[in-house]
Amino acid sequence: MIRDITIGQYYASDSVIHKLDPRVKVVCTFAYIISLFCFNQLSGYIIAAVFFWCIIKLSKVPFKFVIRGIKPILFMLVFTAMLNLFWTSGGNVLVKFGIITITEEGIERTVFMALRLVFLIIGSSIMTLATTPNQLTDAIEKLLKPLNRVKVPVHEVAMMMSIALRFIPILVEETDKIMKAQLARGADFESGNIFRRIKSMAPIIIPLFVSAARRASDLALAMDARCYNGGSGRTKMKPLEYKGRDIAAYLVMAGYIAVIIIAGKYLPF
Amino acid sequence: MKPFIDAKGLVHEYSRRDEEGNVTGINRALDGIDMEVKAGDFIAVLGANGSGKSTFAKHLNALLVPTEGTLYVNGMDTSDQGNNLLIRQAAGMVFQNPDNQIISNVVEEDVGFGPENMGVPTEEIWRRVEESLKNVGMYEYRKESPNQLSGGQKQRIAIAGIMAMKPKCIVLDEPTAMLDPAGRKSVIKTVKELNKKEGITIILITHYMEEVTGADFVYVMSEGQVKMKGTPRQVFARSEELARYRLAIPEVTKIANGLRKKGVNIPKDILYTEELTDILLKTKARGL
Repeated sequence: MIRDITIGQYYASDSVIHKLDPRVKVVCTFAYIISLFCFNQLSGYIIAAVFFWCIIKLSKVPFKFVIRGIKPILFMLVFTAMLNLFWTSGGNVLVKFGIITITEEGIERTVFMALRLVFLIIGSSIMTLATTPNQLTDAIEKLLKPLNRVKVPVHEVAMMMSIALRFIPILVEETDKIMKAQLARGADFESGNIFRRIKSMAPIIIPLFVSAARRASDLALAMDARCYNGGSGRTKMKPLEYKGRDIAAYLVMAGYIAVIIIAGKYLPF
Repeated sequence: MKPFIDAKGLVHEYSRRDEEGNVTGINRALDGIDMEVKAGDFIAVLGANGSGKSTFAKHLNALLVPTEGTLYVNGMDTSDQGNNLLIRQAAGMVFQNPDNQIISNVVEEDVGFGPENMGVPTEEIWRRVEESLKNVGMYEYRKESPNQLSGGQKQRIAIAGIMAMKPKCIVLDEPTAMLDPAGRKSVIKTVKELNKKEGITIILITHYMEEVTGADFVYVMSEGQVKMKGTPRQVFARSEELARYRLAIPEVTKIANGLRKKGVNIPKDILYTEELTDILLKTKARGL
């Protein structure tokens, strides 16, 4: 069924990682990504990998789900690897063939860069796997709250994000319905070159937009009727509060960063 | 006692405009409505498409304000902007399309949306959410996504969302128009229970006759005016008049009327299937 699709890629579980405050997960993911650029030697990669492995185990998300995040960027990964491999100069030349030169340093750089990218992608995908989209918008709202002072409508933006998430499956279902209705009237979405196919999308897109606008106006009315009045004076049904385990998670993260930095300074390899 | 809803000469005009914004015509959607509703009553407003019944519903929630005349809800004047939030708390509103009035991805969070807006403390929100979900019989679904529910269930969630705001009255604007028969039945049953057990004033706007039979009082609207009013029995006894307003009487009443025309002795105001069967059985026993 088309309405069973899940948004984002949340993997339901009751692990410690899932139970953490979403703010912790957002902040730590950022810290982890930054930490990946704080070292330049093998030991750093090993530490980052071990740390990451522990997080995956703790989150109880199967490894194949985590690794799935790499698929969409595989092409980019190969492309950057190629660039690094062929266009790095310096170090011992291993192969020289026409304009192609592969050096020892080139290989080293290629491997490290690729590893860094992989860590970066699966690092952020573990966050989205262990946090529901709703919790993420909550966390973003709370983390960006200071921006309210410079007149950024943080609450409104977060509300828009969560409403968008709610309506994605509805609009997907509607697209499906419109497509079938147009097919029944003889519309052809599959033949012709790319331009013709793009053109044939118009009878789907236009009704979809019209209906989305109508839904938006209905929803606005319904929100009005339920006393929605913007972010001020609002209370929260599920307020975000730091618990012991959240503090502990921050401490663990700080410890990890410290280890990475110390290793970068004192370990010889 | 002061009536909960008090409309006097209520008029609403929509103006049609051309592209430059000049008024080219005026549509009188409501044309002098007088209505008084006592707290705790179950009122039904009947009307065909375009009769002005939905416009009237929006007035009860202060989503629209009167062009002429006055409307008081719970003693508050709806044309005073400052009363808006209090009126919407006192008289909650359930709309036709179940999808377009559910805001959150999780059932319980959606029910909590109203109280959150009102600034109710967190623990109290949880208590209200639990209570109102139990009231509509949807407590088991509290952790689920509304996208997985049927139309009737979604509509009951919408009702729970309003109940959590602790209103005195719920206005339902054709809540069953987009539902299948089973969903329709469950929604109407829920509404009737809320009226009986919780004493909530119900204003049900509909064009399904079958839903009206349990009401205390029925108003029939056409062309922006109240054309008929009375108890369901009084209103349905005037079937020719109803037909003029493009409304059909319930099936049972129709059958009873047909039988009466054929010479069977049946009163004019049959509303329930059981009533008709009773009378027919008695007639049969008397050997007619």
